[in-house]
Amino acid sequence: MMELEGLTKFYGETCALRGVSLTIEDDEYLTLLGPSGSGKSTLLRLIAGLEQPDSGSIRLNGEDIASLPPHRRGLGIVQQNYALFPHMTVFENVAFGLRWREENPVTEEAEITKRVDAMLDLVGLSGFENRGVGQISGGQKQRVSLARTLVTEPRVCLLDEPLGALDANLRERMTLELRRIRDTLGVTFMHVTGNEHEALGMGDRMIVLDGGAAVMIAPPEQVFDRPQTVRVAQVLNAYNILQGRVHEGRFDHAGSMLPLPPNSEGAMHYAIRFDAATLVPPDDPTALIRATFITSEFTGGGVTYFLRGPDGVFEVERHLSRADPQVYKGGQELGISWAATDALAFDSDGELIVSSNMRGAA
Amino acid sequence: MSMQETTQKSALLKRNKKFALLAPGVIWMMLFLVVPLCMMIYVSFWTQTTFSISSDLTLKSWKTFFASETYFGALIRTIRLWLIVLFLTFIIGYPAALFIGQFVRNKTTQTVLLVACVIPFWTSFLIRVLAWRPMLGKEGAINIVLQKFGLIDAPIEVLLFTELSVVIGMVQIYVVFMVGPIAFMLARIDQSLIEAARDLGASSWTIFRKIIFPLSLPGVVVGAIFVSVMVLGEFATASALSGRKVNLLGNIIVTQVGSLKWAFAAVIGVVLTAVMAVVITLLLRVVDLRKEL
Amino acid sequence: MNQPALRILLAVYIAIFIAFLYGPFLVMGIISFQQGPEGGPQFPIIEWSTFWYKHVLGLAPPTRVAPLPIGEALTRSLTLAFATMVVATVLGTLTAQAFRTQFKGSGFVFYLVVLGMMVPGVLLGLGMSLVANQLGVQRTWWGTAFVLHVVYTFPFAFLVMLAIFNRFDQRVEEAAWALGVTPMRTFRKVTFPIIFPGVLSAMLFAFTLSYDEFPRTLFTGGPDVTMPIAIYGTFSVEIHPNLFAFGVLTTLFSFTLLTIYGVLMTASIRRSQAKASGIQEDIE
Repeated sequence: MMELEGLTKFYGETCALRGVSLTIEDDEYLTLLGPSGSGKSTLLRLIAGLEQPDSGSIRLNGEDIASLPPHRRGLGIVQQNYALFPHMTVFENVAFGLRWREENPVTEEAEITKRVDAMLDLVGLSGFENRGVGQISGGQKQRVSLARTLVTEPRVCLLDEPLGALDANLRERMTLELRRIRDTLGVTFMHVTGNEHEALGMGDRMIVLDGGAAVMIAPPEQVFDRPQTVRVAQVLNAYNILQGRVHEGRFDHAGSMLPLPPNSEGAMHYAIRFDAATLVPPDDPTALIRATFITSEFTGGGVTYFLRGPDGVFEVERHLSRADPQVYKGGQELGISWAATDALAFDSDGELIVSSNMRGAA
Repeated sequence: MSMQETTQKSALLKRNKKFALLAPGVIWMMLFLVVPLCMMIYVSFWTQTTFSISSDLTLKSWKTFFASETYFGALIRTIRLWLIVLFLTFIIGYPAALFIGQFVRNKTTQTVLLVACVIPFWTSFLIRVLAWRPMLGKEGAINIVLQKFGLIDAPIEVLLFTELSVVIGMVQIYVVFMVGPIAFMLARIDQSLIEAARDLGASSWTIFRKIIFPLSLPGVVVGAIFVSVMVLGEFATASALSGRKVNLLGNIIVTQVGSLKWAFAAVIGVVLTAVMAVVITLLLRVVDLRKEL
Repeated sequence: MNQPALRILLAVYIAIFIAFLYGPFLVMGIISFQQGPEGGPQFPIIEWSTFWYKHVLGLAPPTRVAPLPIGEALTRSLTLAFATMVVATVLGTLTAQAFRTQFKGSGFVFYLVVLGMMVPGVLLGLGMSLVANQLGVQRTWWGTAFVLHVVYTFPFAFLVMLAIFNRFDQRVEEAAWALGVTPMRTFRKVTFPIIFPGVLSAMLFAFTLSYDEFPRTLFTGGPDVTMPIAIYGTFSVEIHPNLFAFGVLTTLFSFTLLTIYGVLMTASIRRSQAKASGIQEDIE
């Protein structure tokens, strides 16, 4: 178990992390989502010991490791660009840690071969042992980098945007691979990413980092369904966020009176998930707001429609399993409708207003 | 241990590590570069008599320098020769660099050409200078060839043991220092930039003036610094190829040291340093050396 | 740039340019076969002979031309160049290592180091001998001259290493630390092997510069001469073709070394390529 408490880091005047506290359980897959500049890489580097925090503590199984240099922490890190040793073969890369680490190095060649082979087998790289790292593909490099770290049996494995440099196809495959490898070994993964799909799809729990602070720590479904603050909803990139004011029990957004979930009198922000909204003809009685169609984009399993609403762009996502994709013309007027229970309301501090029926639903 | 202490300690450790890395180099340069230069300035104010030198401070050596036609003349000659050599190395070196850096797109050929330029450096500098003598002399290779082809009737005598021979020798030796940096900068230019300009209808001359030359300018400056530093401090080429007729500041320093006139040598040294400082400062105005690396 | 006419023009130009660089070389080669011991360093060749080569190697009968002090002076020069190379490369690597992260005063240190290659040799030689006089220190090639050789070559080594470190990916080191390997061992096993080609060229630079250095050595070398000083000494008296024979011999020697280096490099590249393609076949 790893406990971070009040981790703070300044770069000159800029605050990269402000008092981040969290607990990382054993044998869990933790994802850390944040936009660029949110401090996610900094947090990882602090944990790994590559940077020093200005204040706060890092405890691993009760022992404070904040003052230990990186090589005494027993943590693994998989870098974004893989950082393989260019002058070694795949085998030597993976064997490096076992062979040369300070604590408890493996001296028996047979033992090294056995463990490296087993690890290469696990990541699906058997037969690549003698290749130079310049002669393998990006996805294979990614696996070597992972194998190199995992073979040393780290207590926690930190992954810094591990899929960032891969193409979409490979990324999807590696997503499954990563989960399988983690389940096999039972080692804790802390996976940093800027991609909300990755964060939502892979983690047992996820952390949303924004402006150097952990703004929400919860299981992915919960983060997705009920973002704790407006910022979280924004980071998730899955919500239309509307500004307005409550007026006679409805939410007044640029003249459109939207239905509110119960008990949300003080609401200042209103959020509706892309996939909770549907497009209807402009004169349909269920239409809550009117919008002008701009364009649409296929995302594989669905279509995302972009519309100009009363105050900014409105996105509607439609899964193809539900219906055939509708084709609209640019400039076409449409109505958008949704169920009042799907809407989320946030108060003036940006905090989610938890209504009674939602509590019931949870 | 509290967090505060830990951080302070690690920051201190980092600073100590940096200090340990820097200290040897900095101390070495302070002791053997800065101290000697300061000493030179100091000694230039010492009292020099024919047979001895004493540390009583005086401006006498300085007055002698500026009053003497020979010495002040040497300063003027040094500057003139430096400007001529700098100009010639640029004029002769730039087209060569342009060919290597822009027209040869094959990396191997580029390397071969650059290595070909560098190979002469594997022969002792002094021997290379001396090799100009049988080349330029009255019965030297150039005169023999020219006479054979009937281009001249009598051998050209001004070729050797004149200022011209010194200039020829220096240009040949130092032109490579101009070619190298310029070719390096030229080779770094993104070809798509030039293609884009061509697509927009720019003529070759415009492309050269507006894109290629400005981008190669840092190379020109670095080359100019190399050439200036070496030419201003020169004395060997002058004494080997001028038959002691062309005296540069460097030559005077050597003779003064030979006759143990330390204070006087120091004065000339300080003058030379000042010239050098002005030249380098001006050149560095054009280009930030650190950024170009 | 792709202008056929201009390209041809410049190609011709570069041929002339290289001829200009090599002209004196050619003359040097021819004159070195001048008849000896009466033949002087000028045209025409009285009679082709290898006398001056024998003279350089000490195989010719004694004549009025003093033999070049090859044994002692050359040994001194090589020793000095070797020591300079080691110290300059170590200093250059250390300083460049410090420059990998930002620090206050980096501009000052940078220009202080670079100053070492900018100050003309005469000035530094003069300054150093003044200091030696003042302190009453004997001027020797292994003392006062050596420290100046380092002042001169250290900046070159520093700049080469700086360029190498600029291209070096810090994260490779971090990866090694995170695997539990100490920084010291990481430097030995990861950093050093990666930067080694750079270190080698820094060493080559330092060695060549020091070996051929003479304005600094002239004032500070003391009574025992190095090779360039011995050659400089012949300026004041008559020069003989033995110098040119020596020049040809040393050039050939450097050529041989360079060729061996080139052949070894090519061979190692080819071997690793062959190995890689072989493995590829195994898998497919």
